[in-house]
This record gives sequence, C-alpha cells and structure tokens, in this order.
Amino acid sequence: MFLISMIIWATALLGAVMTVWALSWAVKRGEFRNPRQGAASIFDDEEPIGRQTDFFPAIRQGVRS
Amino acid sequence: MTHVPEGPAESRLEQISRIVIDDSSRVPVLLWFTSSVIWLLFGSLAAMISSLKLHHPDFLGGIEWLTFGRIRPVHLDIVFFGWSCMAAIGTLLWLQARLCHVRLPWPVLLSGLAMVWNIGVVVGSVAVLAGHGSSIEYLEFPAYCAPFFAIPALGVLAANVKMYLTKRSEHTYVSQWYLLAATVWLPILYVTAMFCTYFGLVQGVSQAITNWWFGHNALGLWVTPIAVATAYYLIPKVTGRPVHSYHLSLLGFWTLAIFYNWAGTHHLTGGPLPAWTITVGVVGSMMMFIPVITVAINHHMTMRGVFSMLKTSPTLRFTVFGSFLYTVASFQGSLEALRSHQEITHFTQYTIGHAHLGLYGFFSMIMFGAMYYIFPRVTNNEWSSARLIKVHFWGSALGILSYGVGLCWAGWWQGTMMNNPSIPFLQIVEYIKPYLILRSISGAGMTIAHLAFALSVWRILSRHHFVMSGPTLFTTQRPPWREFVNEQNQREEIAQ
Repeated sequence: MFLISMIIWATALLGAVMTVWALSWAVKRGEFRNPRQGAASIFDDEEPIGRQTDFFPAIRQGVRS
Repeated sequence: MTHVPEGPAESRLEQISRIVIDDSSRVPVLLWFTSSVIWLLFGSLAAMISSLKLHHPDFLGGIEWLTFGRIRPVHLDIVFFGWSCMAAIGTLLWLQARLCHVRLPWPVLLSGLAMVWNIGVVVGSVAVLAGHGSSIEYLEFPAYCAPFFAIPALGVLAANVKMYLTKRSEHTYVSQWYLLAATVWLPILYVTAMFCTYFGLVQGVSQAITNWWFGHNALGLWVTPIAVATAYYLIPKVTGRPVHSYHLSLLGFWTLAIFYNWAGTHHLTGGPLPAWTITVGVVGSMMMFIPVITVAINHHMTMRGVFSMLKTSPTLRFTVFGSFLYTVASFQGSLEALRSHQEITHFTQYTIGHAHLGLYGFFSMIMFGAMYYIFPRVTNNEWSSARLIKVHFWGSALGILSYGVGLCWAGWWQGTMMNNPSIPFLQIVEYIKPYLILRSISGAGMTIAHLAFALSVWRILSRHHFVMSGPTLFTTQRPPWREFVNEQNQREEIAQ
C-alpha cells in the first residue's frame, strides 16, 4: 500500500528527470548559443522589428479612418 | 489572375508561407476555438446560477439537477475542459505551426479530436448534473469520460511533436519549449490521476494528494505554459520589439518545468498528511518566484515605452492585462502556500478570488488576446466592431478585478473572524453576504463581455462584415487567399 501511495511522487520525480534530460539535450544541441538571434526569430522582412502588427478595426497605424 | 504581394522575393515567400500555414490550420483551429467560445457561454450560465444561489439559496431550489452541489462542479468542469482546454489547444496548434514554419499536420484528425473532446464535455456535464459526478475537484466527470480527453490529448501531443521534428526554423523559440512541455505533461497528469483515482489505487490521504497534484498541475503545467507561450509570442510580435531578455525567458521556462510539479500539496496544508509532503509543496511554491519574476520583468520591459499601443491593439490590451495578472496571481499563490497564510485564508472566499484571478484574469484574458489575433488570420476576415471588442475588454477586466479584489478582501476577514471563537458563525455569514452579491454583479459583467465576444466571433465566422484587408487583420494588404494557397501548392509540387 505504501508503494502504491508513492505513485504520484514517483510520477513527479519522473517529470523532473525528464525536464533535466530535456535541458541537457537542448544544451548539447546548441539551442542557447545565440539568444539575440533567438529573440528575433519571430520577425521577418514582411513583419519586421519595429512594426506593430495588430490594430482595432478602423484604426490603422494610429490613424482613425 | 494570381496576385503576388509586392516586395523582395524573400518577403513574398515568407508571406506566402504564413498564408499557407494559416490556411492549413483553419478548420481544426476554428473548431477548437468556436467550441471553446460556446462552452464559455455555458460556463458563464452555470457560474451565474451558482453565484446567485450563494446569496439567494432558494433560487431554482426545487430543481435537483441545479442544486449547488451539482451546478458548481459543472461550472468548473465546463470552464476548464470546455473553455480553457479547447482554447489552449486551438492556440497551441496555430502557434506551433507558425513557429515551426510548417503546415499543421492531420487537420481532419485534429478536427475529429475536437468533436471527441466536445462529446466528452457534454457527457461529463450531463453526468454531473444527473448526480453521477465524483467529489474530487477537477476530476468530477465519471471514469467513462476519460477516453474522450485522453485520446485527443495524445493526438495533440503527436501533432505537436511532428511539427517540431519537421520544423523549418533553425531555432527553438521560447514559446515552443512551453508548448512542447505542456502537451507532454497533460496526458501524463490526466491519465495518471484518473487511473489512480478511479481504479481504487489511492484512497484517503493518498487520494487527496493525487487530486491536488493533478488539480494544481493541470493549471500550472498545462494551461499556464500555453498562456505564457502565447504572451511571449504576441507581445513582441504585436509591438514589433524582441523579448527584452531572451536569457531570462529561457531561465523562466526551465525553472517552471523543474519546480512547479512539486507545489500541489500546499492545497492540503493543515490536513492529515505527513508534514514533509506539505513542506515539499511550500518549497516548490516558493521556488516559483523565480519563473514568475523572469516573466514579469520580460513582459514589462518589452512593453516599456510602448504602452500607448494598448490603445490601438485589442490583442495587446488583453494579453498585457493577462500577463500583469499572471504576476499578481502567482505572487499571491506562492504566498498562499505558507502555513501562516493558510491559517487565515484556507476554506474562505480568498481561495475562490485567487483561483479566478489566475484562470480568468491571467489565462482567459491571454486566450482572448490570442483569439483576436488568430481569428482574422485563419478566417481571412476582419473583426466587425471595435465597440464590441471594447465592451468585451472592459466587461472582463472590470468584472475580474472587482471579483478578485472583493473576494480576496472578504476572504481574508472571513478567515480572521473564523479564527476568533468569540464571533458567532452566523455573524461571519452576514459579513460575507454583500461580497457574494458583488461576486454575482462582477460575474454578470463578465457574462455580458462573453456575449459581446461570442457575437463578434459569430460575425467574423458568418462573414457578416466581410473585409479581406484591414487594420486588425494585417499591416499589409493580403492577396486573395485561395489563389495564394494554390500557387504555393503548385510550387511545392514542381519542386518535388
């Protein structure tokens, strides 16, 4: 019964082990080498840094139509 | 005639790619989203009935299906499984496809899984209303409902992993870590908790630990990562400013992944558990200050100097409000884990106020923000009315603030009075009553907001106000949708 009651703690421990494994995998893969590039990776020429991409209807680039 | 957007060839390809990705996700994402909005309305109705019963106990008192012990769990389960989970899955499918620069895989399967999930919510809700629910919070739906959620969760995990393994982007953006982790955690949490609970493996104290391990982690390791991932994408994307500190964002993710898992037992402080289990929960909750502070610094600093954009962007308005409430609710939650704090707030309205600040003020507001961004892009249509969006925002924002502040204030004094044996219990009930009425008024404000939102969604889906290019939709006018998709498909076929 004691072992069965420990299922949740074992699952929690498994989650922590999986997280540490994923972290070491990401480090080896070089995911953290260039954070500046990472932060800018969601922008492109069409939606570049410096351009707002969402407005209320009838407002565009700060000008009401 | 095929219209090609103006600009350098590389830009055209990026835009084509975005259009094709959005097109591939249209049917499944809209199914998950529209289902979630419908459940939001039902959840609001159940919430209003529950709330009114707290200060008018005779309200609908003759109908056994609507007694407080049934309608309150139905509200919670509809809002969690129907609204929150379905909105979260719709958002994660669209966002992961965008970030991986790939088409959404298996759209038919993912649409079918949305219908399976809907059936689960219907069957579970009817079962609880009929009196067949369990008394285990967040797991009230009977055991036979489990496959309706476990199978779609595994399907969503498979789609998410497939997108990641076939991604065209070199880098893994911080949001992708959160999305991947959330989809791995959900099936583990749900299947383990249901298996242990309904197969009688855990009973008594162990069952309570299982209950709150699931209940707390379902919020912290499932819906929270998706909302934080969404904010990490939308705030930089809408403002046009990269995340203030990418280092901090990564630190925030990995510390959340390591520490959150251990925090659930703080819900059982004061219960008949071994002291070490509570201490584990308290320590886990204190460690959560690290990821919360990183997110708070990042989101605030990314917005610094451009807060005026909140006036012009509906997405940003909801998302930034939700991010702010993430900091507030998380700080409050960590402090609530302390034994000295629990002595006052446990079993009071304070806990209800905190739960709503988290799941509504933080999570739901960010999901609203995401939907204001995603709906126009997958329907290729414009929102019909700025006024409706503003009614939605102010109804939700004022509603949740008055709800959260009112109940936390009332709960604190309720707990203080309950700890004083010289105060009669009925006097405490009388003290709480005005705040319960405030709760109903606040809930009514949020319900009106949801109706405005549902009307906006109905209009954009029914093409009541069909505008293919517009300010909410895109910063540059987009060409005819179908022609673009066909053109891209032909190019890929030739390339193969």
